[in-house]
Amino acid sequence: MAMLDYVYTGWGAFWVTMFMFVPFALMAYWVIRRKSLVDTGPTQLQPSEFAPIEGVWMTFAFIFFVVANLASLKYIPWAAASGTTNGEPEIQVDFTAKSWAYDISNRQIEAGKPVRFSGRSSDTQHGFAVYHPDGRVLFTMLMMPGTTKPTSVVYTFKDPGKYAVRCLEYCGVAHHRMQDELTVVKAN
Amino acid sequence: MSIATTIVKSTPVFGKMFAVDKSTGLEEINAWPALMIMSSFVWLVVAGLLGLVMPATQIFDLSSDHFYTTLTLHGAALTFPFSFQLMMGVGLHRSGGCVGKAITGWLPALAWLSMNLGAAILTVAVLMGLKVSVVVMFPLPLVGAQMGVWSMESVIVGFTGIYLVLACMILWYPLLVLKMMFFGKKRAELILSERSLNEPGMLGMLLAAATLLLTGLPLVVVGTTLVLALYKVIPMSLAAWAADPVVFQYTFYLFAHNLMEAMALMVASAMYATLPLYLADGSRKLYSEKLANLALWVLLVTSVTSGLHHFITFYPNQPAALSYWGNIMSWGTGMGAAISIFTILATIWQHGLKAEPGIIAVLVGWALYILDGASAIVTSNIAWTYQLHGTMWQSGHFMTVVLSMSMMWMGVLYHHYPVLTGRKLDPALGYLYVKMISVGSLGAAIVMLAGGAAGMPRRFADWHPEGWMLYGNLILAFGLILGASFAVYFYNLMKSREISAPMGELARA
Ligand code: HEM
Ligand SMILES: [Cu+2]
Repeated sequence: MAMLDYVYTGWGAFWVTMFMFVPFALMAYWVIRRKSLVDTGPTQLQPSEFAPIEGVWMTFAFIFFVVANLASLKYIPWAAASGTTNGEPEIQVDFTAKSWAYDISNRQIEAGKPVRFSGRSSDTQHGFAVYHPDGRVLFTMLMMPGTTKPTSVVYTFKDPGKYAVRCLEYCGVAHHRMQDELTVVKAN
Repeated sequence: MSIATTIVKSTPVFGKMFAVDKSTGLEEINAWPALMIMSSFVWLVVAGLLGLVMPATQIFDLSSDHFYTTLTLHGAALTFPFSFQLMMGVGLHRSGGCVGKAITGWLPALAWLSMNLGAAILTVAVLMGLKVSVVVMFPLPLVGAQMGVWSMESVIVGFTGIYLVLACMILWYPLLVLKMMFFGKKRAELILSERSLNEPGMLGMLLAAATLLLTGLPLVVVGTTLVLALYKVIPMSLAAWAADPVVFQYTFYLFAHNLMEAMALMVASAMYATLPLYLADGSRKLYSEKLANLALWVLLVTSVTSGLHHFITFYPNQPAALSYWGNIMSWGTGMGAAISIFTILATIWQHGLKAEPGIIAVLVGWALYILDGASAIVTSNIAWTYQLHGTMWQSGHFMTVVLSMSMMWMGVLYHHYPVLTGRKLDPALGYLYVKMISVGSLGAAIVMLAGGAAGMPRRFADWHPEGWMLYGNLILAFGLILGASFAVYFYNLMKSREISAPMGELARA
């Protein structure tokens, strides 16, 4: 479980990408090198002998793709939310993004309670990314002006601490200064 | 003499690299492509240097304005007048020789002019202050003008430039391809290596042209409405629907996403056509043409709607069902990639490879493209995109897709260069280029993905917090290698030597 928790983070994404790329790159390097330098002649393999390899390869790719996505389902914020919000009171955090600051209804949050973030933009596209104190992105949200519904995410914080909020949608010359902070405190 | 030839001849430095050999009788398929290719490389030099400026502004703490100016110019110039134009030039030259039709008349001239003039006008707008990034981030241009960050004039100039660039990609280029494929007389003396539309080498070109045209038309309508309103031809109230951020963004990405896929189709098609020419046993056959075509079709069908992955974090404004759909379709393109991996490697395994710098550049570019594809499907997964959207991961993906395709075209160009110019390139320099660009581009790609994994934001003028500068320094280091590799490539083009053998023979060899 803990391993899956890691897989579905930013660094998990990095290693999964490498898992797809590195074996392919080694294989391609080996085939190209061998067939252009070592044993350049045609290989005495009949097309019928390629077919099973082709089948195995495509099946492997398909199964890997399906598993990687199915296993990710419970890490989708809206799916995770439907599991945790049963009966528990939700903390509601409303915010408005406007170049280049946030207006946040409540910056102090209790750990362990599901929080619903609902946000709007009042001018151009903005983001609202919450960073764990260790530097990871926990989730990011995209807001466009003029929508009838707010953009929304439910998240349950585990660790008390200071959480940076940053805008991750380019919004003009002071985009990098569009930041804020949430404080997560121990539940009493 | 074609106007194109004249322009190439009178361009300093670059003109020498692409002067068309007229003794071959192939000027009609060479002149405009040579001009397009030459122009694309001028943009590469300028915008590549700007790429190095970006990390430099961060390392030396220069004003954030410089960072955003450079970012906008770098992204826009490398995507459109460099990469797209390079593809257009090499692709047109290829298809001219495959179907035996001249690339002359007003359409190629219009395509070239509208791309380069448009990009130049956009550059002026950015220098006037319009720092909106390559993807415009609508309604940012208008909001910035309202806030007084840049002028309304710069917005009008900028949209005019973008409009011309889009017209080239959505109208002039695809129409030219369709015209060549279905109309006009085939001329035997222009045929270099005949291909039919059923072959992967041509099918991809056709599918790509159709994709650009069809997925771009809605954006043409929206863009035309906005430009007319900006020029006050129609009242703003009539354009309000097009200025709605959601309408604009969805039409924009329907095209922008498929633009990348169309470029991929085109370059995959060029690879399927070029690889057989370098097989050791002279069989000139892919492992399976059917499979190669299937890969193109899978890519096409899955890509049309996979662009929904750009808006997953907009939930619930983008309903969950559409996000699931975008997620699934994106991984479907991965199945297309899996088929192409098998086809390429089985072909080489079956027939052996006559290695030359050109084909090796194509293959390394393709490997880089596979890395990019892996990073792309990963970030199209809903769970992962919630943590990666808007980080350097996405810039890494964007830059790598454009760079890998450009690298493949530069390899294909290496193959076509003798026919285009009647001159020969030096293989040792060719290999040096391949080695350097492989290290530079792979390194930059992996570092940018890692930066994203670590939470480093994209398009962000402050890399100091949280230790992100580590990735910034590494991007600069690999970027220097990348820049040097281009210098080697150009040096090779500069010192290319006349071929003594009769060109006609060589072209048809
Ligand atoms: C010469 C070395 C290069 C360096 C040092 C470099 C550096 C960078 C950096 C740092 C970014 C990310 C900016 C950000 O999102 O904050 C970037 C983005 C990008 N680069 Fe490069 N780059 C180089 C060459 C290239 C080349 C050759 C191409 C295309 C063939 C290219 C295409 C792009 C594109 C399309 C983007 C995305 C722009 C955006 O998302 O706004 N770059 N580059
Ligand atoms: Cu913002």
